[in-house]
Amino acid sequence: MKFWEGIWLALLQLRAQKLKSFFTLLGVIIGVTFLISVIAIVQGMNRFVREDFATAIFGVNTLQIHRRETVQVGREDVEKRRRQARNPFLYRADADALRATVPGVWRFGYNSDAFLPEVRRGEFRRRNVRVVGGSEGYLDLQGWDIADGRAFNPLDYAYGLRVAVIGSAIAERLFPDRSPIGERIRVGPHTYTVVGTLKKQGGLLGNIRDASIVIPFPAYRGDFAVRRDVVDEIAIKFRNTREMDAGRLEVEAVLRQRHRLRPGVENDFAIESATQLLDAWQKINRILMAALPGLVSISLVVGGIVIMNIMLVSVLERTREIGIRMAIGARRRDILLQFLIESATLSVMGAAAGVVFGALLAQVVRAATPLPVSVAPWSVAVGVVLGLLVGLFFGAYPASRAARLDPIVALRYE
Amino acid sequence: MTPPNDKIILTEALTKDYELGAETVHALRGVDLVVERNEYVAIMGPSGSGKSTLLNLIGCLDTPTGGRYWLNRQEVSRLDDAELARIRNREVGFVFQTFNLLPRATALHNVELPLIYAGVPAKERRERSAVALEAVGLADRMHHRPNELSGGERQRVATARALVNNPSILLADEPTGNLDSTTSAEIMGLFDELHAKGQTILLVTHERDIAAHAHRAIQLRDGRIERDERRALAEAIR
Ligand SMILES: Nc1ncnc2c1ncn2[C@@H]1O[C@H](COP(=O)(O)OP(=O)(O)O)[C@@H](O)[C@H]1O
Ligand SMILES: [Mg+2]
Repeated sequence: MKFWEGIWLALLQLRAQKLKSFFTLLGVIIGVTFLISVIAIVQGMNRFVREDFATAIFGVNTLQIHRRETVQVGREDVEKRRRQARNPFLYRADADALRATVPGVWRFGYNSDAFLPEVRRGEFRRRNVRVVGGSEGYLDLQGWDIADGRAFNPLDYAYGLRVAVIGSAIAERLFPDRSPIGERIRVGPHTYTVVGTLKKQGGLLGNIRDASIVIPFPAYRGDFAVRRDVVDEIAIKFRNTREMDAGRLEVEAVLRQRHRLRPGVENDFAIESATQLLDAWQKINRILMAALPGLVSISLVVGGIVIMNIMLVSVLERTREIGIRMAIGARRRDILLQFLIESATLSVMGAAAGVVFGALLAQVVRAATPLPVSVAPWSVAVGVVLGLLVGLFFGAYPASRAARLDPIVALRYE
Repeated sequence: MTPPNDKIILTEALTKDYELGAETVHALRGVDLVVERNEYVAIMGPSGSGKSTLLNLIGCLDTPTGGRYWLNRQEVSRLDDAELARIRNREVGFVFQTFNLLPRATALHNVELPLIYAGVPAKERRERSAVALEAVGLADRMHHRPNELSGGERQRVATARALVNNPSILLADEPTGNLDSTTSAEIMGLFDELHAKGQTILLVTHERDIAAHAHRAIQLRDGRIERDERRALAEAIR
């Protein structure tokens, strides 16, 4: 019961002096706010990179093979860029060889792309369009769903037909008045028939897709390719990470052999996947997480020292109260406990406020960014426990000062 | 040596020195005192004669420099801090001139405090505190804070607090010192009642008409007992 009384007293103290309490607890509040919000935000970034960003670029369990790296992680390496600029092109024959030899392939596709100044239908036009020449299975591999019409069929490929599946932004712009299916559009100097439209994706990465036109690779090869049979990208999707890792080795072996690279010579092609991006993110993540304890402990220690000072003042101001309590039978440990509980309660209240502020901050970031930020329950527990420990640690000295008072001296104080 | 049962207080050559810088103040210079159950004792004497010092020693608020002291057959001068706290809690009830109530706590809570430190469960605590407050005539003031009470009422709350744990002795250091004469008479009436019910009371005062309520008057001078007079003489003082 003395325990509850201690908490009650501390809460009364808080209520009596709201503003002073707030400033007293500012350090603890800031520390815990930091803890809660940074962890929530970093975890949100983590999830975003892991689940949305990295896989949106590379696809889940997908290897992308280019003649040079598309994503460079870390500092810009000019020398490496220059070296990779001399890498040989990838050809359809390379893709066919990979498809034939790499084990565990689930989905396979390759493509080349070009940017066109515009596509047109009568007076309707859309500028800056990406034309993608995709192999059979390309849409499937990318996970690009058809909204209207159909995807490509084997005949489109076999006869090199000029058919197109268009992104939603292009469909909206060229066909404000009717369905695009079956209509003709001018893609550069050529006329294509729209057979399907892509579902709108939106977002940072989706915008590119929404403004794309996909055509079968044979048509692309005939109409847009600068170098025939060169493919810009080969993509292989596996069922899981393990098979992807095995597949990566085989891809490397096949291409090295085809490029006649002697052992010890650097690859003259790039195999990339979400793994690289995630590894890079992990590094950033680790740095953020390593800095966090320092920031949090600095504010907690500062907060603790403020609490200690406030408690010392409080002990002084309440010397007579302590004397009264001792006169009617409080033992030294009762007094010790009372002040410990008081400082711990104060500090835990500060931590609780920090949790609230931290959660609010996380909420703000969640609303303002695409990051799926949410407060980690364990960080709340850590925050509250840290608050408790700060209160106990920095309350110990004032509390022992109170407990060591001589009853008669304390009673006569003032 | 264990004193017989009926002697609540027994002191032997009790001394108390205060060090004031290089100087030593001999507040008590050897006090031998015996108080039996249900006595009503007034401790008198001029200011600075050691009345409060003696009462504080008896109440275990302070420890003697020399001599021995038994409270309820237990040698108190040998006890440690925690045991002294227990004695203050269970054996002694203190009433001070300045009331010494907790300003932010209600009357009821103030009276509850000794029971809290005695480890009495909440429900029983509240009941006993309410009874103690009723006994001093404050049933309708339980939820008032000290600053909402008159001086006399505050001293009654303090008395209720002193008695709530059924102490062996009630010690009062000039309990009427801060009260006007009408209120003083009320408080003394309360003390008389308590004594009539069997309470042992030690009362410090320098007012003769207050001391006259007691059945025995001890006169201190310079830290020594100068006179110790039983009822007949106490009557004579009046
Ligand atoms: N804490 C103290 N430090 C030094 N001297 C004290 C202290 N308490 C009391 N004294 C001295 O001891 C003597 C007795 O004091 P006290 O018992 O308070 O007297 P009374 O209550 O009879 O007025 C006085 O001379 C007083 O100054
Ligand atoms: Mg005095």
